[in-house]
Amino acid sequence: MNDTVLVLSVVSAIVAGTPILFAALGEILTERSGVMNLGVEGMMLIGGVTGFWAGVQTGNLWLALLAGGLAGAALSGIHALLAISLRVNQIVSGLALVIVGGGLSAFWGSSGDDPLIQSFNGVRVEPLLPEALRDLPAVGPIVFGHDPVVYVSWLIVAAAAYFLYRTTPGLSLRAVGEDPAAADAAGLSVTGIRYLFTLVGGFGAGVGGVYLALVVLGTWQTGMTAGAGWIAVALVILAGWRPWLALAASYVFGALRTLGFTLQIAGVEVPSDFLNMIPFVVTFLVVIVVSANPERARRVGAPASLGEPYSREAR
Amino acid sequence: MTLRLGVEPRARPALPVRLGVPVASLLAAGLAGAVVILVAGASPVEAYRTMLDASLNGVRPLTRTLVLATPLILTGLAAAVAFRMKVWNIGAEGQLYMGAIAAAGLALALPSGTPKPLMLLVILVAGAVAGALWAGLAALPKAYFNTNEVITTLMLNFVALYFMNYLIFGSVSFWRDPEAMFPQGKLIPASAQLPIISHRLHYGLLVALAAALVLWWSLRGTTWGFELRTIGDSPAASRYAGMSVSGKVLSVLALSGALAGVAGAIEVSGVLKTLDPRAIATELGFTGIVVAAVARLNPLGVVPVAVLLGAVVASGTNLQTVGLEAEIVFLLQGLIFLFVAAGEFFLANRLVFPRTAAAVGSP
Repeated sequence: MNDTVLVLSVVSAIVAGTPILFAALGEILTERSGVMNLGVEGMMLIGGVTGFWAGVQTGNLWLALLAGGLAGAALSGIHALLAISLRVNQIVSGLALVIVGGGLSAFWGSSGDDPLIQSFNGVRVEPLLPEALRDLPAVGPIVFGHDPVVYVSWLIVAAAAYFLYRTTPGLSLRAVGEDPAAADAAGLSVTGIRYLFTLVGGFGAGVGGVYLALVVLGTWQTGMTAGAGWIAVALVILAGWRPWLALAASYVFGALRTLGFTLQIAGVEVPSDFLNMIPFVVTFLVVIVVSANPERARRVGAPASLGEPYSREAR
Repeated sequence: MTLRLGVEPRARPALPVRLGVPVASLLAAGLAGAVVILVAGASPVEAYRTMLDASLNGVRPLTRTLVLATPLILTGLAAAVAFRMKVWNIGAEGQLYMGAIAAAGLALALPSGTPKPLMLLVILVAGAVAGALWAGLAALPKAYFNTNEVITTLMLNFVALYFMNYLIFGSVSFWRDPEAMFPQGKLIPASAQLPIISHRLHYGLLVALAAALVLWWSLRGTTWGFELRTIGDSPAASRYAGMSVSGKVLSVLALSGALAGVAGAIEVSGVLKTLDPRAIATELGFTGIVVAAVARLNPLGVVPVAVLLGAVVASGTNLQTVGLEAEIVFLLQGLIFLFVAAGEFFLANRLVFPRTAAAVGSP
């Protein structure tokens, strides 16, 4: 029962979806403040290489996640400076982050006497819960069999949803994203809140990159994200900027990314290049479908000031 | 007295400012790159001298730089024309692949005895059409549903990449050489190869330069260009003035895709002589975005900037002689992009020095 194709594919979908989930959650919080950061791919890469390096140095998963998160946040700080303070076009600034993050991580990962590429990380990732629970049929591996980071991600989804809809700071965040002028008039620091949540978003992407390198792939590869960061950006739109929907959507995309593995054990032959295409084709189609229905598009609408810099003088 | 720098917006800056800010941004990126090179344990002076030698010193390095600059001019123009209307085509990468696939396909399918001028014309047109159609997949939903084109064009890059890999590595397709031991594409006939100017430099460069001139003129001197610029500055006002914004989205994205597709066709016809996915997928599309940003979306500015970035790319492998990995060139491109983006602030705003602020401030 526990090694049926279905159970195995659900488990691998959750593992493969977790990096996207961290990145998408971070981006949801950033975009809720009105800042669009397209640099997720770059932040995941810089977080991944930093976390992988920290993992090799310390052998400690949590230190690696922290280091990668901080590296992602540092890169997002550049976006904050450009997009919030210098009011540079946010699409241009986000793309610059992708290229800088990709270049810096490729350079760091492949240079030096002891390059990180393909090296052994030595970080042990163990399941959290006791064996008795993990051996239960079906729910054992799917619900109880994961490493601690997956459970942390569930807690963060719940915390993010509670924060956004049930707390005053969460309301402030949404207010800044919807109507920065009104939020400013109400005494909120638009700049401060936008900076903070841009950094939070970078931290999330960085953590996602570390999980991808250390747990999903088990090694550092140049350009290892292969579009995962962009999928995360798209997923924010598909999830309508809502944390719980992001959780569900991340696992669906995890399932699409591991579809080849699933079909292989099910004995179905599909060329791997077409399997690799599937998440991108699905994202392409779903983004169009979501936008094609104006009623739905209005209901799940983006934060009203998304992508627009705020300047008190320019009003 | 508090020393506080004020900021105020300015109208179109004077020419020295418009040229000076990008140059200053490039110098700042070079300085930041020097810091990275120092941290990596190499000498920045030696590294930059190696780059200059490898890219500009002599006929052979110079032609190599221009060969790399040729596709960058075209992808730079592709980004510039779309971005000028604030349509964010991030898909030049995939449009270029589709152009390369179409060009290689027709070069192999047509009789090898086809007269060269006709063959070359067909190949370039095929590249343009394939790129335009691939961009069209994102342009139609953008025009009719206002679908976010950043996401759609980007997703299509990956689809095109895997499709191209499938044709050579994943199957024995029409493009693949069935005799070769390792997966590789069939060689295109001599009649489909662009003639050579000098060393490896081919006439594709002239195609790219002509495209830059025509685009520059179209943006300045035609109604089409005027409407494009107006829509970019204010879509609402243009709609009120009776312009068809969705029609313009279609034509601009198709043109942008066509330019990227031609770049792919030229790479196949002038450089690779076969469909070689590994050699084509070298981020030419993304680098084109950097080119367009540094050139401030001016089609004539795209040309020198593409040569500059072509020089950076050309010198990548030579940097290993001074102990730097070739990946440093991507980092340098990223730094250039970042500092140029920051420079936009100084073009849009003027710094007000504290003298005026102090006059109204406290004693």
